[in-house]
Amino acid sequence: MMTVITGKALPRRTFLKGVGTALALPFLDAMTPAFGATEQSPLRAVWCYVPCGKDMRNWNPSWEGPFQDLPPILQPLEELRGDFTQLSNLTHAAANAWSDGGGDHGRAGGNYLTGVHVRKSATDPSAGISCDQVIANKIGSATRFPSLQIGLEDAKQTGSCDSGYSCAYTNNLSWRSPTQPLPPILEPRSLFDRLFGDGTVLSPEERREEDAARRSIFSFLNADIKKLASTLGPSDRRKLDEYTTSIREVEVQLQKAEKDNSHVDPKMERPYGTPPDFATHFKLMTEMLTIAFQADLTRVVTFLMTRESSQRTYPEIGIPEAHHQISHHGNNIQTMDKIAKLNTYHVTQFAQWVERLKATSEGDSNLLNNSIIIYGSGLADGNSHIHEDLPTILVGNGGGYFKHGRRLVYQKETPMANLWLAIMDRMGVSLDQFGDSTGPLEGLNVS
Amino acid sequence: MPAAARSVNVVFDAALGHRAADPLALALVLVLESRGEAQLIALNISTANLQAAAMALTIRNFYRPSAGLREAPVGLLASAKLNEKTTMTSIPLAKRDAEGRPVYSHSISKLTDTADSIALVRNALASQSDESAVVVLTGPATTLARYLEMPGSKDLVARKVSQLVIAWGEFPESSADFAMTADPDSAKRVLSEWPTPIFVVGRDVSEEVKFPASSIDKDFSWASNHPVADAYRAFHTMPYDAPTGSLAAALFALKPEEEYFIPSDPGRFEVLADGRTTFIASPTGRHRYLSLAPEKKGALAGRYVELASSRSAVPASRGGRGRGAPGAAAGPAGRGQQQAPISPAQ
Repeated sequence: MMTVITGKALPRRTFLKGVGTALALPFLDAMTPAFGATEQSPLRAVWCYVPCGKDMRNWNPSWEGPFQDLPPILQPLEELRGDFTQLSNLTHAAANAWSDGGGDHGRAGGNYLTGVHVRKSATDPSAGISCDQVIANKIGSATRFPSLQIGLEDAKQTGSCDSGYSCAYTNNLSWRSPTQPLPPILEPRSLFDRLFGDGTVLSPEERREEDAARRSIFSFLNADIKKLASTLGPSDRRKLDEYTTSIREVEVQLQKAEKDNSHVDPKMERPYGTPPDFATHFKLMTEMLTIAFQADLTRVVTFLMTRESSQRTYPEIGIPEAHHQISHHGNNIQTMDKIAKLNTYHVTQFAQWVERLKATSEGDSNLLNNSIIIYGSGLADGNSHIHEDLPTILVGNGGGYFKHGRRLVYQKETPMANLWLAIMDRMGVSLDQFGDSTGPLEGLNVS
Repeated sequence: MPAAARSVNVVFDAALGHRAADPLALALVLVLESRGEAQLIALNISTANLQAAAMALTIRNFYRPSAGLREAPVGLLASAKLNEKTTMTSIPLAKRDAEGRPVYSHSISKLTDTADSIALVRNALASQSDESAVVVLTGPATTLARYLEMPGSKDLVARKVSQLVIAWGEFPESSADFAMTADPDSAKRVLSEWPTPIFVVGRDVSEEVKFPASSIDKDFSWASNHPVADAYRAFHTMPYDAPTGSLAAALFALKPEEEYFIPSDPGRFEVLADGRTTFIASPTGRHRYLSLAPEKKGALAGRYVELASSRSAVPASRGGRGRGAPGAAAGPAGRGQQQAPISPAQ
């Protein structure tokens, strides 16, 4: 069982001696839940996205209701059958072509967390605000990072990645605004530095000096930006405004960090390089994510495990072809079996992380109990580019709220956005409508 | 298939089982679809009865052979106020062949084999070009009223739908119609909030030209088992000539240029407390009721028969086994479809 101790930025010995003293203190906002039982542990929402659909023969069982024999792709979750629900017939109708022609991968990616029919453009993408950002806008101020976006594959943002659809659609899950995607962090070292710094342990005075220097740089930038804005046209002023908003948000984070003045010791080596195999890369990223949850660095995460139209190969499991290539199986049984094997491999890694979350205590419960995790895809059958009955599992109890251990089948065409509404509501954001929703998904907390 | 001069996208919303002409109207739409003159973009049942959905799917599949693994779902309003079983659907679905197998097979055995009504209608409209869709309503307005409650729905309807055609009541003054008494609040909502022109076919038109019972045995006999004919026979003791309100609504919606019907001067409908409707003339109103064009009245019954009883124009090679192909009898389930009979007890 991993434990993380956070405290003031003091030399390690002093820091350890300080543990007893810290425990005696009343609960402070700067303390993390790892120090002891909290009145209410924070909830986290995580979306884990796997592209190109699934081999639905081995994803959907013939039964519904309480779990029977899990379908092959979900069998790695056997030990966790009481911790997840399989959801069927959820649909992203707005990801269909309508009159836009090809581009199902681009639409699937851009639509998944936004629920809108994205604009077909390689140069001027427009989606919507993704539901994770709706949540982050509400609760993000409670943590160092309002949200986190991570991934394991290409994060190219420009150009066309699918039939005239911008790479921004396939390579991002989170959208701060209809025109502003939030690219995922791909490299373990980058994620480490982002979450925990570069390993240098600064004294509170040194940290304040560093923050002050950084802040003065942003002031300089702000002055220059105002001067520039007066010379620009409306479209460029909008883009500049989005950029300055990002900078202001960094300033806010700096101010919070200054107030916080704490240093998270992840008790792991700073990674070097990106592991070549999926499993190791996945494990490294999720280890850091787990620590981030323990330290309450963020409560909203999107994890683009691989991107739509993924070109990733998996020689480690005997699949030398690209994922996207084999997803167009043409109803060839051997190729479909390869897809099933790959789908199972992904779920295996995911299951191992979920088990780690369950094994990580938090207060009188564990991280998994206080999480809401979606594992799914914006396509069902990848060969036919189907946007209905999307393969989706809901993992984690959301603070003891969800009732698991079953497969819930909804009426066809039930919007996936209905599930996002239910999750947003559980995370403290109550909306009447999101994307193409028709109402919050029902039955998740009812036996 | 002959090139269509004009193809109309249709949302067909019916409480299948309560009007003899509803299956005939659906057949009319599907025959025109097979000729390239219409496209059924959403088929919705505004009752909570699973057999009604199963019958609707059976009729649709009879005219539209399965094109592959996926078939568009039929919408069913699980929370509808109307939900009782009817003989129109229960008797044909219980029909067995000599080997005891269901004559009409379909893939609906439970609620989740149907689609969420509101999402179905919304998704169908959202995917259309502007002003390319018509909505034909022959049952309670529950689905449409619930849809109007959703943010953005009125804007979408205003953009995508050219008109709503309803088979209700009797005008200018009506007696109570089951579709309104089943859900008067929804009727009021749709009549007051629907953002496009509304045309209503009343009982007067419905009763003035009836569908001849004699046609059922004569013109539908090209199929040894015809679901539309079987539904007609099961609805009421034969022979009976059926009121044709649903047929009139479908024909006017898809073929207004044939001028069988004359729209009234504009006004607005109001639903009274007892479920009757009244029409108030108003130059700014967006509602009109339909009357029969006198010079065309004599030919109307024949036109109904010709359209409702025609074979699908889709060649047999394009479809599944035994479905809708000219001259072919409806057979057991084709590939990719479950054989899921619904017992009369459901």
